[in-house]
Amino acid sequence: MSDSLLEFRKVSVDYAGRGGTVSAVTDVSLTLIEGETFGLVGESGCGKTTLSMALMGLLPDIASVRGRILFNGSDLTTMTESQLRELRGDRISMVFQDPATSLDPTFGIGSQVADTIRAHGDVSRKQAKDRALGLLAEVGIPAAAERYADPPHRLSGGMRQRVVLAAAIANNPALLLADEPTTALDVTIQAQILDLLADLQRRHGTTILLIAHDLGVVAQICDRVGVMYAGQLVEVAPVAELFARPRHPYTRALFDALPSGSHQAGALRVIAGQVPDLAHAPTGCRFKDRCPSRLAECDETPPLAMSDSGASIACWLDPATRAAGGLGPLAIAGESNG
Amino acid sequence: MNGRLEYALRRVLLTIPVLFATSIFVFLLIRLVPGDPVRTMLGIRATPDTIATVRSQLGLDHPLITQYWDWLRNALHGDLGQDFISHEKITSLLSVSMPITLELTILAMLLALVVGVPLGIIVAAKSGWTRRLSNGFVIGAISIPDFWLGIMLVLIFTGSLHLLPPTGWVAFTDNPAQNLRYMVLPVLTLATGQSAYILRTTRAAMLGTLSEPYIAFLRAKGLRQRSIVYLHALRNSSGPIVTVTGIQFGVLLGGAIVIENLFALPGVGRLIVTAISERNYVVVQGGVLVVACLFILVNLITDLVHGLLDPRVEEAVSR
Amino acid sequence: MTTIERASTARPQWRTRFGGREGLIGWTILAVLILIAILAPVLAPHSSEAIDSTRIFAKPDLSHPFGSDDLGRDVFSRVLYAYRASLSIAIGSVLLAMIVGVPIGVFAGYVGGWADLVLMRAVDLLLAFPALLLAISLIAILGPGNAVALLAIAIIYVPIIARVVRSSVLVVRGQPYVLGARTRGASHWAIVRGHVLPNSAGPVLVQASVLMAFAIVIEAALSFLGLGSQPPTPELGLMLAEGNNYLTTAPWVEIFPGLAIAVTVLAFNLIGDGLRRSFDPHGVTR
Repeated sequence: MSDSLLEFRKVSVDYAGRGGTVSAVTDVSLTLIEGETFGLVGESGCGKTTLSMALMGLLPDIASVRGRILFNGSDLTTMTESQLRELRGDRISMVFQDPATSLDPTFGIGSQVADTIRAHGDVSRKQAKDRALGLLAEVGIPAAAERYADPPHRLSGGMRQRVVLAAAIANNPALLLADEPTTALDVTIQAQILDLLADLQRRHGTTILLIAHDLGVVAQICDRVGVMYAGQLVEVAPVAELFARPRHPYTRALFDALPSGSHQAGALRVIAGQVPDLAHAPTGCRFKDRCPSRLAECDETPPLAMSDSGASIACWLDPATRAAGGLGPLAIAGESNG
Repeated sequence: MNGRLEYALRRVLLTIPVLFATSIFVFLLIRLVPGDPVRTMLGIRATPDTIATVRSQLGLDHPLITQYWDWLRNALHGDLGQDFISHEKITSLLSVSMPITLELTILAMLLALVVGVPLGIIVAAKSGWTRRLSNGFVIGAISIPDFWLGIMLVLIFTGSLHLLPPTGWVAFTDNPAQNLRYMVLPVLTLATGQSAYILRTTRAAMLGTLSEPYIAFLRAKGLRQRSIVYLHALRNSSGPIVTVTGIQFGVLLGGAIVIENLFALPGVGRLIVTAISERNYVVVQGGVLVVACLFILVNLITDLVHGLLDPRVEEAVSR
Repeated sequence: MTTIERASTARPQWRTRFGGREGLIGWTILAVLILIAILAPVLAPHSSEAIDSTRIFAKPDLSHPFGSDDLGRDVFSRVLYAYRASLSIAIGSVLLAMIVGVPIGVFAGYVGGWADLVLMRAVDLLLAFPALLLAISLIAILGPGNAVALLAIAIIYVPIIARVVRSSVLVVRGQPYVLGARTRGASHWAIVRGHVLPNSAGPVLVQASVLMAFAIVIEAALSFLGLGSQPPTPELGLMLAEGNNYLTTAPWVEIFPGLAIAVTVLAFNLIGDGLRRSFDPHGVTR
């Protein structure tokens, strides 16, 4: 196995609110390998953005993080704010969902790339500007020198996202977090931005953690995919494997709900039931109340376990999970299948 | 760049109708006085001779349009008429009193900004008792009438502590140190309430700005907190702060009228109020005209500063 | 789950209506002050005008809690009476400004087009004048006095009210339910009465309470300058002007009328803040 760049070890995030504690992320363990593009998918509110904000150290004060987040072997959760600040934008950078609101409206676009460079190195204004111009050209801003001082509102959404990307890769980060980077864009622009991401990844060897709710986006550029449901990581698999054989009942339901693929139009299926209220999360598997194949064991949390195919799933239906949880093979499942 | 230039030009052109309307109002000031303004003005000093002289000096025997045209032409040439009591030119009265009013209001506004903006920024990031304390200060400071605050400050600083001279004034050119000592209490009086408005505005604007996604992105880029708050968040919050500063300058000019009378500062406000009680309408007219023009100028400056700080103004122009 | 939460966090309806604890304090103070103004002849322990040469600058005591002034008059009784002028001018000027300003704002906002353009330019012109300067100019024309002060304050408030009404009318006018009412054939008057006025009530009330707070100060300032109430009327600003020459001898003549103004202004400001919070919980108008 190649070197791991980022490792989440049993990470949980709780929000202390007025109506009680909300456990937004529960016991997520995940390893990102250097150079890969990893997609994290799930419905909104499943905890994928919270997990990325925990990684950036940008959670609000009401949030508390348990577990460890190891980046190049050092634990981000124990770092001071100034240590984190030095990492942010330098070794780890982030692209936000909506390019319309990601850039400071009162500053020129070029200076918003240059400030990232100057925040992480003893660089003169002139040098920073030159490098920023190079980066703007690299991400495909035409006539970058003339647009350098333009305020963001003079640029289109796609162009703004390119500027955001230029700022994010300015210091050649090891890890790039992209939180739904194309959701707010037109479909044609989406493809361009995804191509640009893939291209940057190829050239700089950056590890990318792509957060998405759109499986199509994930299929285009990711190597591996993690599926989150209600704060739990339920399945991790190579992208081809996941699309060929989704294993976790939730992942399957997610594919069934897709309007494309093997299903005919009109055969769209919705997932019955509702996402549980995370202020009063049920014990065990959080999908159990909506699951078509619920077992008695589902009141215990299933561990995420790797099977022969390279996919890991957290479900008591899966033999690897059962073995990891110390349970015997599922006799009933065999009978009903046979 | 031309978008912002266009905004600035438009804004400058917009002052022309405002100046025009102001001139009409100020011109009508004397003409609207019920009865015969000249008789009211001259009172017991009136003899048929003087009445006739003053009437023809004011041009009251001509048609209104001709009167306005003559008055406007004279005003544009720097002739605002003559004081009928001291026989001084209005412009020379104003050239003495206007600098005093300017010194008072500008110092007060600077002090209010120097106190209000940083406090507003600090309080924006706080909750709990800091916030409650600042809310208490704001509602207290805007509820206390400025002239009563001035009286209480005199009571404390000159009556009990003997720290500062009571009311009075010395020209800055005669004795700068003494001039500033006389300015301390009036400036403090006017600045207290204004600092509360500036604080409240800054806090609200900063609260809004700091929750914007671009602030999160600046943090994700690893910028220092200081530069995020004081460079980016403050610049993005400057719109409301600058606008309120402009509006409050008008309130400050009104307040200066009262405060100048309280502290016996011979500024334009004192000039106007004294002139009203003496029915010295030509002086009132001149005083009102310069204060109104000053406010129009301040409004223009604040809008231009806003345009300088926030490039989004050009979107409003193109719309 | 949500319903349980809502039940536990919800405040009693009446308390929210009054704008929370602060608003309630404001309303209570105002109610007490209005009662004081009405009942001044009953409440005042002494005459507000009787001159007493034996009590010139007498210190506060039990029967004269605020002391006596330069003519030996009881400051406490004078303050009680003075609320009559202060409150009636403050409330009266704002009501007068609303009677004129609300129709202008509704008309400009609802009709739009040229009427809107012309009216709002006029409003801008009036707002280009510092408020107190405008009031003083009007008094210069019409002469000093309470009635003129009320009129002058009302005139400087009309454009402010008109502008607030207009902007909330613009919001309401674009709402689907107003369009719905139009398609059902409702008359303009019915729409204005049924939708436009009720929906602009919140912002107007917030503005009105803030303007009343200002009116108290402006009226006192005018009297302080000798341009409002005339002696021997008991009026707070006038009392401050009269006592100012004897500040160090008899500070009570200055302290209590000023406090009386501050308490009134505070009440209106608390009411305004409370109303703002209950009409606009997300702080949009801030």
